Amino acid sequence: MNRQIRLLGIGLIVLFVALFAQLNYTQLVRAKALEANPLNSNAVVKEYTAQRGDIVSADGVTLATSVPTNDQLKYLRKYPKGALFAQITGYFSFIYGSDGAERTYDKVLTGSKSPFKLPTSLSGLRNLLTNRNQSQSITLTTLYKLQLVAQDQLKGRTGSVVALDPRTGAILAMYSNPTFDPNSISSHNLAADQANYKAITQMPGGVLDPPAYRQTWFPGSTFKVITSSAVYDHKPALTTKTYPYLSALPLPQTTNELHNFGGEVCGGQLPQLFTVSCDTGFGQIGLDLGGVALNLEANAFGFNQVPPIDLPFAAKSFFPAAASFVLDQPSLAYSAIGQQNVQATPLQMALVAAAIADRGQIMTPHVLGHVTNSQNQVVSTYQPKVWKDVTSAATAAQMTQLMISVVNSPDGTGTLAQIPGVQVAAKTGTAQTGTGKIDAWFIAFAPANNPTIAVSVVLPNQPSENEYQGGTLAAPIAKAVIEAYLSGSAAPAQPSGAP
Amino acid sequence: MTRAPARRRTELGLIFLVVILTGGLYALAGLGKAGNLPANMGPFLVIIFGLLLIGHLAMRRLAPNADPILLPTAGLLNGIGYVFIARLSTHEARLQAVWTAAGIGAFVATLALVKRARDLERFRYTFAFLGIGLLLLPLLPHLGEDINGARLWIHVGSFNFQPGEIAKLALAIFFASVLVERADLLSKGTRRVGRFLVLDPRYLAPILAAWGLSLVIFLAENDLGSSFLFFALFIGLLWVATGRAYYLGLGAVLFAIGSFLALKVIGHAHSRVQSWLDPWAHPSTTGYQIIQGQFAIAAGGLFGQGPGQSNASHIPEASTDLIFAVIAAELGLVGATALLLGYILMVGSGLRIAVRCERQFEKLLATGLSLILGVQTFVIVAGVTRLIPLTGVTLPFVSYGGSSLIANYILLALLLRISHDTETPRLVEQAFDVELRGVTA
Repeated sequence: MNRQIRLLGIGLIVLFVALFAQLNYTQLVRAKALEANPLNSNAVVKEYTAQRGDIVSADGVTLATSVPTNDQLKYLRKYPKGALFAQITGYFSFIYGSDGAERTYDKVLTGSKSPFKLPTSLSGLRNLLTNRNQSQSITLTTLYKLQLVAQDQLKGRTGSVVALDPRTGAILAMYSNPTFDPNSISSHNLAADQANYKAITQMPGGVLDPPAYRQTWFPGSTFKVITSSAVYDHKPALTTKTYPYLSALPLPQTTNELHNFGGEVCGGQLPQLFTVSCDTGFGQIGLDLGGVALNLEANAFGFNQVPPIDLPFAAKSFFPAAASFVLDQPSLAYSAIGQQNVQATPLQMALVAAAIADRGQIMTPHVLGHVTNSQNQVVSTYQPKVWKDVTSAATAAQMTQLMISVVNSPDGTGTLAQIPGVQVAAKTGTAQTGTGKIDAWFIAFAPANNPTIAVSVVLPNQPSENEYQGGTLAAPIAKAVIEAYLSGSAAPAQPSGAP
Repeated sequence: MTRAPARRRTELGLIFLVVILTGGLYALAGLGKAGNLPANMGPFLVIIFGLLLIGHLAMRRLAPNADPILLPTAGLLNGIGYVFIARLSTHEARLQAVWTAAGIGAFVATLALVKRARDLERFRYTFAFLGIGLLLLPLLPHLGEDINGARLWIHVGSFNFQPGEIAKLALAIFFASVLVERADLLSKGTRRVGRFLVLDPRYLAPILAAWGLSLVIFLAENDLGSSFLFFALFIGLLWVATGRAYYLGLGAVLFAIGSFLALKVIGHAHSRVQSWLDPWAHPSTTGYQIIQGQFAIAAGGLFGQGPGQSNASHIPEASTDLIFAVIAAELGLVGATALLLGYILMVGSGLRIAVRCERQFEKLLATGLSLILGVQTFVIVAGVTRLIPLTGVTLPFVSYGGSSLIANYILLALLLRISHDTETPRLVEQAFDVELRGVTA
């Protein structure tokens, strides 16, 4: 009998060894494949249930926070300011994933990127064991109060406002109408999320793609800033050329003419053309410059490249290749005034203003100010860096003068942006969309001698009334934003990371 | 009172170790899940130590010379099980604590009632009827209840009980006593069929009847895991008692026939096998449980995600059938292996007790009890890890469930009783030996 009992013991050990082998197979060999299986929600749930830090505005208002729940997903993401910051913070939805800063800074917020440190305190040891409070909060460069001003200015209208600090690239405000409430697709009621998501995607204007940095329009006359810079950079001789007074410019290779808006007559030298935004003059400048110079200058300002902003899926602004103009000279004239195939995001046009404001440099645009850990200590601060060396300080100084004249000169198109005691430099744009509507643009920076804010405003699809609509419709919005920021009523306690 | 035997002092030391280990695990699970220590940390430590101390003191009085490893190991498994149940459901944890106390109570009562293991032999038919009666209980109308397609439960008021768990022990006692009595007859063929001597079916009849009846009952109740366990127990004991390997062959043949019939007749069995072979065919219905178990185990990796830190809320039957998957997810390969080693330790100790026995009945009973423990553990762990089809038996001492816990503590008490009976004469002999040597020196 004992022999059988011993054999039985060996048999049972063999069975347990088989279990051990199977465990090895599942936990080590097949673990990766099982983890990657689309049916496996562990990773998604784990990612979703990790504690997430807050997103806070530069002036200390909580924009996104996690509230503990009793359900499987453990935390509910809340956006106390609703739609106001939807296009910056993005959303954090169990079904639809994440967007905006929630997406870019996911690993920072959950703390999975924070460096491992040996615990030095009891609470540190606890954090190590629980793997819980590694979450970090991020403070944005965006100001709640300035965002409110932008929202208020756009009230009831479709449009976008982008304001940034030209010295650092810090985004101060970025708001678009229409917008959506990120709470509505981040709840734990998945059916409601789906219904809301469907409703949002059916809204006109592609609300889920933040217009400020993912949607493009004809920049219209605001592009003349680039055309003018090209003159200083590539053909300075043109600065002294006097262009004839015309209401329509005959174009090469065609019988068509480039008409001024409403048949207006204008002409003169570059400063005059710029001040009144003379289309016939700039059409001819484009032809004089040539496609190569204009394309080089547009690329120098960041066209045809994705701006390295710390938000996902930013769109490129588009300027045609030089070769495309060889057999199509009329296009060159139209491109010089920001029409035809030229497309730009509001962010890109704000960067154009910032390039002039920051003496020919574009700083990398960003929304991140600094990162704090769960003990509210600053872990890291965003270090501003140059994105593009666009042009010389001399050209920028010349351009500043032109843009001041748009605001100051009695016949300037941007006089509505005048602010008592502050010199504003600007350029208007009234892009024809070809559907009888216009896109009203305004780009500006201030104070002109030492700029601290650059703004771009677009109001697409406005009824076409006159050629100054960029100045009448968009300029007051930019003015209000600049005024609010410079008056200090919407400025951060300390300017974030100013050099 | 005289000084406690060394074995009891070892046991007490091991119990301290168990309290430290489970207390640490409980603290970690609380930290992992909620971010702070469990509120009832103090009571938890007091209760687990108190219960094991009661078991230990009962041993000092009632079975002082028994094996010192079994009780602490069972306590460790029970403690680990409790931690994971508490991590899954506070409600079930509270009940499990009560069941654990009841289990220790049953443990002490068994030690007190069964003064000598050999006394059980006399009541063999009582145990046979008790076992079969208990198996039949869930089939009674109004009393029985279907849970997950298996009719294993009786409920009285709000109280659920799985009588099959106790029935296993009663039938193991019956098998052991009958097989001992007839071992000689069963090991030698008395009838000649052609060139072979085969067994006279007369001698096998009562056993075959008991086995067949209980198999039928198990199948009627759809409890495939228990039928397999029962079958393995029967064949194993037959082989150990007779020393004839052809019983193993016979068992394999009978098993094949039984499986074939079960697959044909019982839809439940068919779907279990289907979802074992290809759980991905129906990932959200029949395959769901297996697949979620696989995902959880895989997520554990080498060292696990940490107690309380995996996402176990969507695993079906996480506190009973699939508790091993949760443990594998949170303690990893290392922790799951350690748990398996705990079972090997218990089964090994049980078989060692069997080997050291001098009387046949106790030897066979200890073997049977160890076999129940080992095979049941294998059946559920292999099912969860997808080595064999998943059937719903409990993981001894770990899974949530009162009947299982009580039955396993009774099993433990019987093993320890046998161990004490075996060791006591040996110790007396040794002591006598020493005394004599003292005189001659």
